[in-house]
Amino acid sequence: MRTISKKLNKEEIEAFGKEVDSLREEVMSKVGKEDADHIRFIYKTYRYTEVLGRGLIHFSFEPISFVAGTLLLSISKIINNMELGHNVLHGQYDWMNDPKFNSRTFEWDIVCNAHQWKFYHNYMHHTYTNVLNKDHDYGYNFTRLTEAQKWKPVHLTQPFTNMFLAMNFQWGIGAHGYRVEYLETPKKLRKKKTLKDYKAVFFKKIEVQMLKDYILFPALAGLNFPKVILGNLLANLIRNLWTYAVIFCGHFTENAESFTTEEIAGETKAQWYLRQLKGSSNLDGSNLFYTMTGHLSHQIEHHMFPDMPAKRYREVAPRLKEICAKYGQHYNTGSFVKQFGSVWKRIIAYSFPDHIANKVMGKRKKYLEPSIVLSQPSFQVSLPTEEKSVSLT
Amino acid sequence: MKTFPFIYNQPKEFLNFLQPKEWADFFLGELNPRFSVTTTKAKVIDIREETADAKTFVLKPNWLWKGFLSGQHVPVTVEIAGRRVTRFYSLSSHPNDKYLQITVKRQKGGLVSNFLNQNTKKGDILEIGEASGEFVLSKELPKELLFLAGGSGITPIHSILRDLQALNYSGKATLLYFVRSVDDIILKSSIDLIEKNNQWLTVHYILSDVPKEGYTSGFLTKEILDQYVPNLKSTSVYVCGPSPMQTKALSLLEGLPVKSELFLLPGQNLTNVKKEGTVDVYLSLSHKTIQVKGERSILDELEEQGIYPQSGCRMGICHTCVCKKQAGAVTDLSNGEKSQLGEENIQICVSRAESNLELEL
Ligand code: FES
Repeated sequence: MRTISKKLNKEEIEAFGKEVDSLREEVMSKVGKEDADHIRFIYKTYRYTEVLGRGLIHFSFEPISFVAGTLLLSISKIINNMELGHNVLHGQYDWMNDPKFNSRTFEWDIVCNAHQWKFYHNYMHHTYTNVLNKDHDYGYNFTRLTEAQKWKPVHLTQPFTNMFLAMNFQWGIGAHGYRVEYLETPKKLRKKKTLKDYKAVFFKKIEVQMLKDYILFPALAGLNFPKVILGNLLANLIRNLWTYAVIFCGHFTENAESFTTEEIAGETKAQWYLRQLKGSSNLDGSNLFYTMTGHLSHQIEHHMFPDMPAKRYREVAPRLKEICAKYGQHYNTGSFVKQFGSVWKRIIAYSFPDHIANKVMGKRKKYLEPSIVLSQPSFQVSLPTEEKSVSLT
Repeated sequence: MKTFPFIYNQPKEFLNFLQPKEWADFFLGELNPRFSVTTTKAKVIDIREETADAKTFVLKPNWLWKGFLSGQHVPVTVEIAGRRVTRFYSLSSHPNDKYLQITVKRQKGGLVSNFLNQNTKKGDILEIGEASGEFVLSKELPKELLFLAGGSGITPIHSILRDLQALNYSGKATLLYFVRSVDDIILKSSIDLIEKNNQWLTVHYILSDVPKEGYTSGFLTKEILDQYVPNLKSTSVYVCGPSPMQTKALSLLEGLPVKSELFLLPGQNLTNVKKEGTVDVYLSLSHKTIQVKGERSILDELEEQGIYPQSGCRMGICHTCVCKKQAGAVTDLSNGEKSQLGEENIQICVSRAESNLELEL
């Protein structure tokens, strides 16, 4: 695998893992009231934006309040899916012992069933991050993102299929769920019926979602129902585009690496940390932006510590970055525009056969020793020049 | 099987999915933190100091409160450092009182009892649950009654005494209240008042640690029993107190109708087990395997490793922590019985891992 990080030997990897572990321990020991207050605030925001959004859509007579209502509803759905749902389902708030924020009881506003999602995301994706054929999220089975995947003519269509997926992302996620569950059932146990059962779970969730957004709430608006249907459709669309963008930036940017099953055989925890680092990429932005991405802007931290309350990633990030710099590991981050651009560069490049793809992607930079070595004592830099000759020579 | 127009869901399931109760709870809670449609909550309207380390909390519950019988206890849930923790406390008030009352004595190392004594202020909201418990008077009142209370074990008995008063009890009742020193007597003025107003009641305070003139001192023994209740034959006995006293009482009173309520601190019911090596616990919903020692309850050992399953009382009463064990054997800490190997529901707060386990968590 091509990499722009320094190759580490065994001891270095283990030392790296130790530092990451102690960082985790330190931050986890601080988890408490502050985090509980945060998630309750998020929950409140989700409830209020939904009520306000739906209210405005219902009682709007002119386009401005309709647009405002639709936007509020989109925000509500985004918060529900990202900062609330995604994080709660990771068990980040299980310690609160509150059924509202418990990964066992939580269900979210999206056609994907939470239980199925937990299997393919929490377990499959987070354990086998970016491992081809094991991480079913890698390209979602139809996007070719590395030369390790064999090119087929059908890949030429992937820019279009991806645009389609972006608009219907929740459906992609939902349909992905039962398929992964089926594919991961041992061959001997797989029967036609098991597939049907898995599918029924998905359909069950679709039904309640559809009834809610496209029958119940429109019906409540009486003759005004087309407006409510439109508002809900738009809100779902906006949420879909946003989550697609954020999630694709997490693992498919230019410098995010992929792995093979042979590479990860017998992996230690430290090696696992390293793989999470190499396979993930971050987004820079403001605190509001972080919250709206459900802190998936901190994909690297999230992948190393999936069950740490997400807001903590903000304080973890700079320190993890330091550790990475110390070990010469590339810490993949950039602005949303830059990262999303590079995702699309990759989607388009690998839709073509290798010789074209490689040309578009260019050679990956080699690892370069940083010009300032961080571990050197700082007085060498900060001492005034006259004294330097006296004290050091 | 399916009702039109719902193909996959029953209309009821759909309604549940819409979370009408959660919505109502949320907005009611925004109006007034005591309001709810799902949770019994109570506002602390008064706090009285009983002794140096015990306080009485007077509570005003919301409309979900269903009442209680004298002698019963309620689960009280508080939030400590962001985390909800539940413990059971006996109600020391009488069912006819306008407000509820619990009396909480600080226990050494007790998380909730200390929190309540230290941090709870007037106006705070406590989450409570439904009252329960068998430590109540029987329908037909016995002619003779003996109450043995130890420390904070007086609280349910206090409520029962008030009940007897309300019922115009005409028999004979004796209360032996074992307590460390005079200063540790909880609810003293109230008990003295009941004694003064009622012919049928005699109260003896027995000091176990710091003797004082005018008071008997000692522990529960046959002599003390003989001294105060010589005619034990036809007496119904209620015992409530710490476990050493409990055990003693049960052995002294063999053959008599005894009702007892044991106050346990979480973790007290554990037999001291020391084990070598570890066993694997596979958590099938979160796809994690962790190693535990099998020395303490599964709940404790999981929490130690940063995994927090749902839990409540942590002493086997509330069933919040019930989880399906798919394979493996556990020991029930409350009675020391070893379970079957197969699938069954267990309470992880009172089960200790005996072999490798597979849990639906
Ligand atoms: S926590 Fe209450 S029964 Fe286990």
